[in-house]
Amino acid sequence: MEPPKIWRERKERYLGIGIMCEDCKKKNFPKTRICPDCGSENVKPYKIAERGTLKYFTQIMNTGDELVFNTPYVVGLVELEDGIKVTAQIVDCDFKDLKKGIKLEQTFRVIARNGKEGLIKYGFKFRPI
Amino acid sequence: MSNEVYIIGTGQTKFGEFFDLNIGDLASEAVSKAIKNAGIGKNEIRTLFIGSTVSNSLSQSSIGGICTRSCSLSSNAYRIESGNASGAAAFHHAFLSIKSGLYDVVVVLGIDKLSDYVQNGTIEKILASSIDYQWEYEMGATLTGLYSFLTQAHMEKYGTTLEQLAYIPTKNHQNGVLNPKAQYRYAIPIEKFLNAKRIADPIGRFDIATPCDGAAAIILASERYIENKKTHSYKVKILSSSVGSDTLALQHREKLTELKATKIAANDAYHKAKLTASDINLAEVHDSHPIGEILAIEDLGLVPKGEGGKASVEGLTALNGKITVNPSGGLKARGDPFGATGIAQLIEIVEQIRGNAGKRQVNDVQYGLTQNVMGTGVMSYVSILGRGEN
Ligand SMILES: [Zn+2]
Repeated sequence: MEPPKIWRERKERYLGIGIMCEDCKKKNFPKTRICPDCGSENVKPYKIAERGTLKYFTQIMNTGDELVFNTPYVVGLVELEDGIKVTAQIVDCDFKDLKKGIKLEQTFRVIARNGKEGLIKYGFKFRPI
Repeated sequence: MSNEVYIIGTGQTKFGEFFDLNIGDLASEAVSKAIKNAGIGKNEIRTLFIGSTVSNSLSQSSIGGICTRSCSLSSNAYRIESGNASGAAAFHHAFLSIKSGLYDVVVVLGIDKLSDYVQNGTIEKILASSIDYQWEYEMGATLTGLYSFLTQAHMEKYGTTLEQLAYIPTKNHQNGVLNPKAQYRYAIPIEKFLNAKRIADPIGRFDIATPCDGAAAIILASERYIENKKTHSYKVKILSSSVGSDTLALQHREKLTELKATKIAANDAYHKAKLTASDINLAEVHDSHPIGEILAIEDLGLVPKGEGGKASVEGLTALNGKITVNPSGGLKARGDPFGATGIAQLIEIVEQIRGNAGKRQVNDVQYGLTQNVMGTGVMSYVSILGRGEN
């Protein structure tokens, strides 16, 4: 929860910016300086798809300090429409009503809180469409 | 003369909650016992390799000097970190140091002290350090949450059931009853696992290994040293020590129905030991979550892919079944002081090969295999030990 870290990750966390490789055409998230698939330095920023499908999900009862305020919450592995997979919280739904394969869309939310007076970290979660 | 590497001594603390002992106390007990067991002098030790996930506290990450002072050693010391597999990683490097011809006698110590930290807070953060902290943990996942995805993937593809999964901790607790070093020496009926509250559905609150305190040490020696000394009554040969890797985050993997790192490590370990999976009838594997043991026995080739659950229910992996898996009680019943776990697995195999395993002794042990996993399988270490000629 260090301020420089939150600032450094702003494009990825707030805008979902990853990379697309100009050589092998693969898309990757989060960004890396060179393409993790082929090693090319010829990569450009790429905004990941905002919709996807729920692959796996579970309800988290126990977690680390910064996320405990949110428990119980649902976390899922989401396959986006562009093939990229991300891990994120699934919100605006009941765990017991969720089903694998449902369609989801990105939504901007509070991700973590550093105590009552510390920084609030924002980022993306997903909700059923 | 070839450059074979042998285990000539072992020592271990009991695993559990020891509020009155610090990291130096635990290190000292394990290392002193191992030195005594090996019958060597302290001044013969060249290096102390320490496998530790969180060491003494979040502030003293360099614990080499703490351990050498507590153990009254004048050797150099390294801390090697590979998440939950730090013990196996340290063992691998200790093995390499002798295999290379550089050293003749070294100690490897696995150690962690986790009872100082609270669950549902710090422990989950520590475990998050061996998954993708930024893009899995900070997004909401936990190690157990990710193991839930691995469990679901296996259930979906192979029809593995909750009943089959619950057989794993049930069996390991039965074995733990027979292990004096285990934290939990009692059996738990299968219904208790099945009826427990889900903490990351389908994983229940009793399914997971408990982080605790403990230390375990092994003395390794070169063939050259053993030839000169001729003092060791029972030495165990390291036939192979191998490692495989995969992506840190599950979201970057193509398949969640196997641990690729385990398959890579196992293939290399069998090849170097000139053995196949069918030669193995004893294994200590990473059962931090029930699916971990199922994936392990499948990806090590001990049972056909997809049949790990069925094999467990049929008793194939029970004590003195076709392949005894986790006779020590595994991480589940022995307790899991992260860095000490990989070393405790190896010590169990040594005790079995030496015929010192008491009531949990496996019949006809020629070889034994260990598998220790970091995170959800970003690194997996596989070692095979065998009888050394007397
Ligand atoms: Zn590329």
